[in-house]
Amino acid sequence: MIKLQHVNKYFYRGEPREVHALRDISLIIEDGEFTLFSGASGCGKTTLLNAIGALDTINSGEIYLDNKEISSLNEEARTQLRLNELGFVFQAYNLVPVLNVEENIGFIMRLRGLSEKEIKERVLEVASMLEIDNKLGSLPNALSGGQQQRVAVARAVAAKPKIILADEPTANLDSKNAKALMDMMRELNEREGVSILFASHDAYILESVRRVIKMNDGAIVDG
Amino acid sequence: MFQLALKNILFYRGRSITTAVLTFVSTMLFIIFVSIQDGSHKSMLENSLKIYTGAIEIYHKEYRDTGGNEYLIEDVKTITDKLSEIEDIEAFAGRYETYGLLSSREHSAASMISGIDPAKERVLSSLKEARREGEFLSENSGNCLYMGAELVKKLHLKMGDEVAFVGSASDNSFAADILKLCGVFKTGLFEFDGSTSFINRSYFDSLMSAQNRASYITIKLKNMDDAQRVNSEILKLLNDDALESLTWKTLMKTLVEAMEVDSIFGYISLSLFFVVIFFVIMIYGFVNVSSRIREFGVLRCIGLSGANIFRLLFYEIFVLSSLAVVLATPIAGFLCYYFQLHPIVIEGMAEMYRDYGVVSDAIPLNFDIFTILWNLGVIYILNFLSIVYPYFYINSFKPIEASRHV
Ligand SMILES: Nc1ncnc2c1ncn2[C@@H]1O[C@H](COP(=O)(O)OP(=O)(O)OP(=O)(O)O)[C@@H](O)[C@H]1O
Ligand SMILES: [Mg+2]
Repeated sequence: MIKLQHVNKYFYRGEPREVHALRDISLIIEDGEFTLFSGASGCGKTTLLNAIGALDTINSGEIYLDNKEISSLNEEARTQLRLNELGFVFQAYNLVPVLNVEENIGFIMRLRGLSEKEIKERVLEVASMLEIDNKLGSLPNALSGGQQQRVAVARAVAAKPKIILADEPTANLDSKNAKALMDMMRELNEREGVSILFASHDAYILESVRRVIKMNDGAIVDG
Repeated sequence: MFQLALKNILFYRGRSITTAVLTFVSTMLFIIFVSIQDGSHKSMLENSLKIYTGAIEIYHKEYRDTGGNEYLIEDVKTITDKLSEIEDIEAFAGRYETYGLLSSREHSAASMISGIDPAKERVLSSLKEARREGEFLSENSGNCLYMGAELVKKLHLKMGDEVAFVGSASDNSFAADILKLCGVFKTGLFEFDGSTSFINRSYFDSLMSAQNRASYITIKLKNMDDAQRVNSEILKLLNDDALESLTWKTLMKTLVEAMEVDSIFGYISLSLFFVVIFFVIMIYGFVNVSSRIREFGVLRCIGLSGANIFRLLFYEIFVLSSLAVVLATPIAGFLCYYFQLHPIVIEGMAEMYRDYGVVSDAIPLNFDIFTILWNLGVIYILNFLSIVYPYFYINSFKPIEASRHV
């Protein structure tokens, strides 16, 4: 469960102009949710996702992950937290170019020090769910955009994080691939019970999600 | 992480090859440069020992610092009698050295004039072998001078020319004589060739009233390695507080120190070259890392720690340096070893570079495992240093910024 209490975030762009990117946000997201943050460009979706994902700091308020306060952790602890509890899917596919699909998917598990046998089994499992099990030996640049993004999702999900944060995961994909990716993520959410949080304006995501949190100018207006 | 490093090395081939080749070249150069430097120092020492300096020499305690007639060895015979008792000594002789003015018809120069026993010096030194013209001294060579080639040049002398000598005898009385150039030697030790003349002791002693006196007694051993042991034996035998007996290590101290200074200058000029090479290595590493900012950013977003990234860079440079070092070391080591046994000879080199203390046309190399090991250590350290800046550069980005970096 994720709980945000009175979270505020400012960006300073040379005094005195400051951007109040998150305005007093309080929010609860239960385990296993499939949730979208929507709203106009610049309303603060990415900023909020980064705050929850321990990628960025906030100026006031608290963020709890399973009752553990995470916004005040130092950089090292946040790195550990990201490694052990969170998964990320970025807009650009962002795979490690020198590693093949199998190694990319297993990367986080290797960092965590799981056994090779466990890793292999899990890689096969998620790869077949995401229909990339026939590409395990390929390097990322030999894959299409849709395939690469599925590898990125597989990498995020393989290590069984509590939450996956996906900022505009379909923005670089055509409609067919976007829809296929969303279907697969939906299936992962149901089968594995992992919470997935999106930030997007994409209609395909809007169709698939169960809960939509609307934002405007750094505040939650609905959801 | 190690596998990832290996894959990066294979993937970013341009950077890998440049780094490895540069490391290879610097390793080779470094080992060979140091080897030549050590080798030429060693041969300078050996030459100068062979030519003139004894393995052990006995002095009056004040002589080496103060000099002068007050501090001569007074009773040479008693000492040499004692020396004949020591098994390990091959030969010994007293030498009487003094400074004086030599004048030809139109030129003059100060010279060290050394009264030697020609028969004994044939065993003790290689002065006879250094002869270039005329004759080495003999038992009845009278007022003959055997003079360094450079000094001959200064005085514009021809064989058989007369030379006027003015000096101070061992009892501080005035000494002067007309001497004759009978032989010219050249050792290659520039200073020595430019300031030294030899003369038969028996003749010189009567001119200088130096019978049974000596500036020092020089000793040749059957085996140089025994110097320390024999020296303490000699000290015991002499049992005279006014005298000191010194091994070649002490005698050569100024030369050894000069060589150390020379080495330091050698390293400084070499390090200038290294600075350039490692800048290039660092720049290649840096460009490589810059193009991977986003990759590193993503890795840090998904949970790669700073330590992990450092390890990754470290493994990369470690593998590349090791590859270069493993190739370069045996080659360079073999070259050093080979040319230690068969020195490279460049005709006329000694002539050209004599001011730099080059003694012979041969470039001797020195093969020494420990020297090579510390050379390698330096190469590794420099390579490791080259990743420090790129590492801090990566970390200067926040992970989330870096992951969006284009
Ligand atoms: N690094 C930054 N420095 C300064 N201002 C920033 C920074 N990042 C975001 N902002 C500002 O904060 C506000 C929220 O930005 P954010 O990126 O969260 O919007 P968004 O909802 O993700 O928009 P989009 O839909 O275009 O991705 C915007 O006004 C933006 O200009
Ligand atoms: Mg955004």
